[in-house]
Amino acid sequence: MYVIIVYDINVDRVNKVKSFLRTHLHWIQNSVFEGEVTKSEFEEIKDGLKDIINKDEDSVILYTMRSEKALKRKVLGVEKAPIGGIL
Amino acid sequence: MKKNYYLMSDGLLKRKENTLYFVNKDGKKPIPINKIYSIYAYGSLTFSSQSVHLLAKEGIPIHFFNYYGFYDGSFYPRETLLSGDLLVKQVEHYLNPGKRLWIAKKFIEGAAGNMEKVLGYYHVQNGIGKTVKDLTLSSNVTEAMNVEARMRSEYYSKMDEILPDGFKMEGRSRRPPENMVNALISFGNSMVYSTVISEIYNTQLNPTISYLHEPFERRYSLALDLSEMFKPILVDRLIFYMVNKRMLTEDDFEQKVDYCILNDGGRKKFIKEYDERLKKTIKHRELNRKVSYRRLIRLEAYKLIKHILGTQEYKPFVMWW
Repeated sequence: MYVIIVYDINVDRVNKVKSFLRTHLHWIQNSVFEGEVTKSEFEEIKDGLKDIINKDEDSVILYTMRSEKALKRKVLGVEKAPIGGIL
Repeated sequence: MKKNYYLMSDGLLKRKENTLYFVNKDGKKPIPINKIYSIYAYGSLTFSSQSVHLLAKEGIPIHFFNYYGFYDGSFYPRETLLSGDLLVKQVEHYLNPGKRLWIAKKFIEGAAGNMEKVLGYYHVQNGIGKTVKDLTLSSNVTEAMNVEARMRSEYYSKMDEILPDGFKMEGRSRRPPENMVNALISFGNSMVYSTVISEIYNTQLNPTISYLHEPFERRYSLALDLSEMFKPILVDRLIFYMVNKRMLTEDDFEQKVDYCILNDGGRKKFIKEYDERLKKTIKHRELNRKVSYRRLIRLEAYKLIKHILGTQEYKPFVMWW
């Protein structure tokens, strides 16, 4: 499945969340990650996030869709981090 | 959905905490470590031992290619899938001449089947089927290799019937390739070879013990064995497709008097299509589900394991579509 994660986290923890998500997903712009994941990886990501965040202060929203094909994506202005396997 | 990363530009691979970064002249780009299947390095790559530790921990191989796009070697992380039992049996199948020949012949049959399919798709008459029948006469691996060589030259001689003018192959030449099609074949074959290494890494098989090729000759010879079957499907079909559709032109090659290789732009185009192809799926008849081309290679390794362990006789993969 394809997942988009957006978050609003207290500065004390924001870097932890960022570096954790970076190991699984593509950084798109500040506070936004996305990428293709398996169901089990999705669970891993959720568990990992739960361990880092403070649920009284932080907020993370996970949008999921069946596959990348179900998503229409358009960028206005600068594409900060194009996703691609050829670097 | 782990994917392959192709590092085409020169740069630095480094680790900061548990994230891998690729730094080049365009800046620093993080690569999600859990998303990497294997890395193909074409540019000159500098990397820190820290990044190697991370790659080893995650079991990710890096394949290195030199300036001309030829395969140099791989960083093959410590084996985590070890099986002494399988290793002993793998060697036993090598040492027993009958058993070894049997497997070697199957690899050739598989390659022949796929070559016929490729030519058949373009309605090219060929004598590959007839040549392969001579396999029954060969009583050792060298003789089987001879049949393979004859079949291969037959195959390459028919390729010109499919290729458009200006892209004729005029016989296989390598080390170095002399013209554009030969350059494409060489480049493609080295990609298949490294793809197969990645797949073997994910099984308990030992990559150095092979049957068709001699185990002590060059590189990971089991990967050479298995790639025979996949070269026609993954590389040759891709070449016909890209050349006939004019996706590749003379501008994508660097042509010198005595050699011809793909240039940067050409490599990028080819790799992109190759990667697409690896991800392409087909409906598998026996498994009754969709599998990707890349997965087919792994399945082939599993079939070989089953044969070596004596649970199921090996049947080489031949395209059925």
